[in-house]
Amino acid sequence: MLLHLRGIQKRFGGITALRDGNLEVEAGQVHLLMGENGAGKSTLMKIVAGLLTADAGEMLWQGRPVRFTRPSEASSVGIAMVHQESLLAPHLTVAENIFLGRNPTTRYGLLNRRLMMDEAARLIAAHNFPLHASARVETLSPAGKQLVEICRAIQRGTSLLIFDEPTSSLSEGETHEVFKIVRKLTEQGTGVIYITHRLEELRAIGDRVTILRDGASVHSCPLAELPRDKMVKYMVGRDLDAGFRRPAVAPGAEMLRVENLSRAPRPRGVNLSIRAGEIVGMAGLIGAGRTELCRALFGLDPIESGRIFVEGKEVRIRSPRDAVAAGIALIPEDRQRAGLARALPIADNMTIANLSLVSRFGLLSAEAERAVAADQIAKLRIKADSPEQLAGRLSGGNQQKVVISKWLVRGARVFLFDEPTRGIDVGAKAEVFETMDELVRNGAAVLMVSSELPELLQVADRIVVMREGSISGELPGRTTQEEIMHLATRH
Amino acid sequence: MLQRLLPFLTLVALFVGLAVASPHFLTGTNLSSVVRQTAVINIMALGMTMIIICGGIDLSVGSILAMGGLLGAMAMEKGWPVGVGVLIGVLTGMLCGWVNGFLTTRLRINPFIVTLGTLGIVRGLALIISNGLPVHQLPKSFAYLGEGTVLRVPFVLFVLIACAVIVHVILEHTKLGRYAFAIGSNQEAALYAGVNIGLVTVAIYTLGGMLTGLAGMIEASRLMTGQPTAGQGYELQAIAAVVIGGGSLRGGEGTVVGTLVGALIMGLLANGSDLLGISPYLQQAIIGAVIILAVAIDELRKRRLG
Repeated sequence: MLLHLRGIQKRFGGITALRDGNLEVEAGQVHLLMGENGAGKSTLMKIVAGLLTADAGEMLWQGRPVRFTRPSEASSVGIAMVHQESLLAPHLTVAENIFLGRNPTTRYGLLNRRLMMDEAARLIAAHNFPLHASARVETLSPAGKQLVEICRAIQRGTSLLIFDEPTSSLSEGETHEVFKIVRKLTEQGTGVIYITHRLEELRAIGDRVTILRDGASVHSCPLAELPRDKMVKYMVGRDLDAGFRRPAVAPGAEMLRVENLSRAPRPRGVNLSIRAGEIVGMAGLIGAGRTELCRALFGLDPIESGRIFVEGKEVRIRSPRDAVAAGIALIPEDRQRAGLARALPIADNMTIANLSLVSRFGLLSAEAERAVAADQIAKLRIKADSPEQLAGRLSGGNQQKVVISKWLVRGARVFLFDEPTRGIDVGAKAEVFETMDELVRNGAAVLMVSSELPELLQVADRIVVMREGSISGELPGRTTQEEIMHLATRH
Repeated sequence: MLQRLLPFLTLVALFVGLAVASPHFLTGTNLSSVVRQTAVINIMALGMTMIIICGGIDLSVGSILAMGGLLGAMAMEKGWPVGVGVLIGVLTGMLCGWVNGFLTTRLRINPFIVTLGTLGIVRGLALIISNGLPVHQLPKSFAYLGEGTVLRVPFVLFVLIACAVIVHVILEHTKLGRYAFAIGSNQEAALYAGVNIGLVTVAIYTLGGMLTGLAGMIEASRLMTGQPTAGQGYELQAIAAVVIGGGSLRGGEGTVVGTLVGALIMGLLANGSDLLGISPYLQQAIIGAVIILAVAIDELRKRRLG
């Protein structure tokens, strides 16, 4: 047994993050750690990596009790963690990042740059990574950065490597690269703990799985013995209807029409029409131009040619302001960064796009603002103490709802969702779909960009596929993943 | 809650402590002089509060203060009415603020750099225009702005209160203020919400410049000179007042009341040191320590809240 955790507990102020964390990891094994956001996965792993210290419980490392108070203690016994957000210094080179904090020195105490470069190059070559030791980290793709993190972790001869959602920002090809590395490491006897949300990718990689819910380990078994629906049930604590497909709404008037829209290099000559009551899915490979289309429609990167009509009227969209005025809303992939002012109250976030609604004689009315916010909190079933609660304190799913309600307050009628389920857990996903459904039932039109094909098949009325900047075809909602991939790839 | 009130409690404690420690503190003359001394920094700090809330900074306020006071004084020296002179000072500040805002938003230069640049440019221009010499020949009635009293209360106090009320209303009760908070809190989210970030930022810097121009006229009135070298180092005092009062240099946080309290704490520290015979050298060190302490306590509070 490489690592054995028993009854780990951790509290932050009044909040219990972990009440009974149990985990057994064998050498040469990939152990999946699953659970919803807030289940305690990251907290448990931070305790193992020495970033946090447990309040109670027992941690055995290779049979001996240990207790880490700082990361260097964990790394000295051979435990390393690859973090979700890249913790790299972007202006330094790959080699400098790999050796950051333990740079080799000459006998005069100066940095030994040559040794460092050689060592880094050797490490990279040994694993066949597509990296250059002298490249600056800021020039790398997300996958490249992930590889640097991995290099840094294994540079010391690690016996246990922890991955915290390594693939959430990676493309499919890059994900396979990471899997290959994980397999190679386990073949060499390294133990791996792998945190993920993506149910699809588990079978490809895991040996054993432990599921956390509400701060406690609720189930642990070999992966092969756990069917997918059971897994979801353990994570959420109830059954989710996996085969669910939302019933279609009778489509109404055309809400958005796009004619021959272009902006170099992508999108190119896109034609699109969405009617009230429709959720139109948009599929395509990474780089097909889906996000670029959303940004163009929302005025972030204004179009170079083509026409946009909202509710039958042509609109000129040169900036997000124009888009908002036309009734278009964008819920971007990176909600935290682009959707929410975390340090401001929920109410302020909800009314920011339509302050005229809560103004009386040119001055903001706190009363009107509170009423609008309370109404939205009730309508979207947002779990919040009050409209004055800071938006940053809400859970991911509820933050998403605050972003959506901002657009409802504004009276937006066309909603562009860019990867709405990325990085949120199973339960919150179901809620996002419910919210989309409610939007279209109330006469809105939704464009849903997603790379998760099963989700598109579950939610969309029609699926439009993009390839290399153009629309390569359209499919009915009841299509198959194969059909979509056929249109998304060159043929 | 207690920690949020800490600046205010500090101010009260300081007030009571000085009243006990020095018989000269609680006299009309002394309190009036504290009000007059702090009014200039206070009015500048009100503008700085708005700028800091929207995620900016203005290092050029000391130079703007000098330029405003100088041009206003020169107009009066040429025989223009006092009211017109004051207006010219305010408009000068307004123009400088607009330039700062314009450069920040149009050229997308970091405001720290822009205002570091204009700090030098405006000061240099003021020295060139005046040949480096102060303007002395000012009408007697101009002294009223800085030194006059209404019912034995300094006139500047009313000016300060009026400015504070206006800025408070702008920040808390208008779209402009709300947009400023939104931009300072998360500029990208504000952009996505359709906020005209350029316009709001320029407006905030312009308002800040106006207040600084007014402060420049008050300073000129108190000295009865237009000094091209006035206001050196005032930018740091104005920033300190905002920060002691709970404003965050990361943007999105700050209040008018907090800033007033912050400026008064510094004013009382200076006044108290004078009354108690503490060396002005030590005074500087004390005020520096208070700034660091105030921000440290504020950071602790925020960290505890998570």
